[in-house]
Amino acid sequence: MESLRDIRQNIKAIKSTQQIMQTMKMISSARIRKAQDAMENARPFATKMLEMVADLKQEVLTFPEPDDGKESWASRFFVNKTGDPQRLGLVVITGDKGLAGSFNAVILREAVSFLKKHQDKEIFVFCIGKKGRDFISRFRKKNIQIVYSSVGIFPKVTYAHAELLGEAILKEYFERNLSSVTLIYNDFKSIGSQRLVSGPVLPFDLFPSVKEEDETEFLFEPGIKEIFETLVPRLVKANMYRILLESQASNLAATMNAMDSASKNAGELVEALGVKLNKVRQAGITNEILDIVNGAEALNG
Amino acid sequence: MPKTFSLNFVTPEKQLLRALPVESVILPALSGEMGVLAGHTPMVVQLGFGSLRYKADGKEEEFAVLGGFAEILHTEVNVFAEGADLADEIDEEEEKQKIKHAKDSLSRKDADIDFEMAELEIKQALTRMKVKKRRLQ
Repeated sequence: MESLRDIRQNIKAIKSTQQIMQTMKMISSARIRKAQDAMENARPFATKMLEMVADLKQEVLTFPEPDDGKESWASRFFVNKTGDPQRLGLVVITGDKGLAGSFNAVILREAVSFLKKHQDKEIFVFCIGKKGRDFISRFRKKNIQIVYSSVGIFPKVTYAHAELLGEAILKEYFERNLSSVTLIYNDFKSIGSQRLVSGPVLPFDLFPSVKEEDETEFLFEPGIKEIFETLVPRLVKANMYRILLESQASNLAATMNAMDSASKNAGELVEALGVKLNKVRQAGITNEILDIVNGAEALNG
Repeated sequence: MPKTFSLNFVTPEKQLLRALPVESVILPALSGEMGVLAGHTPMVVQLGFGSLRYKADGKEEEFAVLGGFAEILHTEVNVFAEGADLADEIDEEEEKQKIKHAKDSLSRKDADIDFEMAELEIKQALTRMKVKKRRLQ
């Protein structure tokens, strides 16, 4: 049987852990407001940009093919007929720390199933977040290679981070002739729920939301080729920025929820231990009284 | 009343203007400044570093723009800037400091620095200062 002292120590330890968890929850909930604002501020840029490229649909589809018979740059970007089907890219966005419930676990599970499915192919991985990087680098397989990793950017994501990631993705995509790049991350739905998203980044799905046929003809300044060569990378970066911000907000929300339920559990534990403590103490007192009564009776007897 | 069209102005971090009715916009196109009035031909323009000015309600506002794009449509203009600062909020002293700092790091050849970054920083600071000066005139 545990002594009174042991139980008291136990309660103290749990209480101080609970305090830490509550603090972590408060920090996350304070940061989440900011993260949500950043997300909402970044949304117009990405959506407006998509609208603009959708306006240019005609021009994109009739983009002049180069004379040498190779696939044009724009076509590689949007259609990609000549990518090597044996080479794939994978972007994994996790948090840097645990203590966020299943936030990282669901992403890594999805990543593992992707890697298993494409066992026979060469996979080039881009890791954001320490958890993902550490996990993927433990795979010692020849066909899996980490080509880019960035840790410690949460919870202070800026556009510069997205630029670096976007540039790395584009560089590998074209230089290594990848056939596609897939992205796994947690989308922010609300503070209570995050949604795992796994989808293609490249080739770029250009017209998910094109409404009516728009026949407007555009002029280009300087030329259409120059415009596309600078516009298209920006499209990827703006998209990456949005996704990093979504991940950041989801990560904070997940931490907040995990810490909330953990500190609730700690509260229940403390309560249960309190009951136990009282029982043990009462048992001790009863024993002492019994001793005294027995002693008195022995004297009288 | 001159005819107006709506101006959207966004950067990756922020939406600066949302469907603001304006009378005219001057964009810092790569090959020089370009004025846009209502009813302009649809066009996509690449922007360089420079000043973006617009007239709304007879008043002129000015931004320092650090590269980007503009999409001109019949009834609206969308500006996508990599970075933008309101001219009135630019602090010349601060920009001078930035230039000095970047030049210092460029002159220390041994240090592990990013030349492109430093040059970009100088270019951005110079643009901001130029826009500010123009604004003060």
